[in-house]
Amino acid sequence: MIDLSAKKVLTLDLNNKTAEAKSFVDLNKYLGGVGLGLKLMEIYTDKNPLVISIGPLNGFFPFASKTSVVLNDGGVIEDLYIGGSLSLRMRFAGLDAIVIFGKADQKAILDIYNTQVTFLGEETDVHTLGLPGKRSVICFEDKKVLLDDYFTTPEKYLEKLFAEKNIGGLVLTGTEVFTPTNFVEYEKLYSILLARKEELEVLSGPYPSCSNCPMGCGKSKVGEIGGNVLINSLVACQFADRIYTDIGIIFSCLNTLGYNYTHEDIENLPKLIEETIKKIS
Amino acid sequence: MPKILKATQPENCNGCELCLLEAQRQLKKIGLEESLIRVFRNKAANSQMIENCLEIDPRINMLHIEKISEICPKGVFEVLEEKDENTGSEQISQVQK
Repeated sequence: MIDLSAKKVLTLDLNNKTAEAKSFVDLNKYLGGVGLGLKLMEIYTDKNPLVISIGPLNGFFPFASKTSVVLNDGGVIEDLYIGGSLSLRMRFAGLDAIVIFGKADQKAILDIYNTQVTFLGEETDVHTLGLPGKRSVICFEDKKVLLDDYFTTPEKYLEKLFAEKNIGGLVLTGTEVFTPTNFVEYEKLYSILLARKEELEVLSGPYPSCSNCPMGCGKSKVGEIGGNVLINSLVACQFADRIYTDIGIIFSCLNTLGYNYTHEDIENLPKLIEETIKKIS
Repeated sequence: MPKILKATQPENCNGCELCLLEAQRQLKKIGLEESLIRVFRNKAANSQMIENCLEIDPRINMLHIEKISEICPKGVFEVLEEKDENTGSEQISQVQK
């Protein structure tokens, strides 16, 4: 079930092959994406976690189509952003974040179906897992972590951590649905945002597109690193910053979906993130 | 005459899934479950290229299919009109691209 009143976090412990889904109301103030990812990094800091997270608008609105990856690379916290279909699948798995910690004794393939996790061996072909059309496939191929056989993250941080943790691949299937109370307003807002595609800083291209983005630009393949904390907490595309730094639009989107964020929550976010970084650095 | 939605240029699909999300919105829901359009991403055989395959449930034709066709940024769909079999001419004709 998609519950927007709390952040739902799925933790996977590779050491003993266990998983647990928990809801955290007190994490709402971190909004999502890098804000939520850094806080979860702090909570699980002694376990060297890999934190994959989305923002409150992912899956619901156009151009909010990236997924945040927060990790610790030799004492330096890195925040990366990957395109593709993952954020939409995470939303419809009912998850705000996936935290992976520990190390698998043998190469592990992680099959996630909403909040249920199956730990499989390396002999499993990731492309045979999950439900076609409702899944995202992450595989580790030719020393590169690939989402949907195409999208990547900058540098080699994710590859290094996948290797350290002995993760061979991950498949996520999302089968939940959501209906906002004011559906007419939601549809109207969706159309308004989609019509603003001319404001994006990329041109339409012939490349694979991220889910919920029509552009098919050439920039999304390589992902993003760092950037504006509001955009990265919403996990919107950095090339849609004219839209997703518009506070009026952001609040319209949040309120239409039923979130209870206030202007103070958004104003306090950079400070919260700064404090969290200080604690884990 | 009934209109039908057809993917006449599926090779142009970029996998954005706007079509299936539009179809779901017309059914007053957001998500992938029980969608009347499915988009399958596959790596093309002997190539690093990504192919997107579309599966369309015929029940899609009960929806506002012009709107679904129009939301596609790559012109993958056409709305076609089924001709009366008695005319003896082509079975379908294009009414909108």
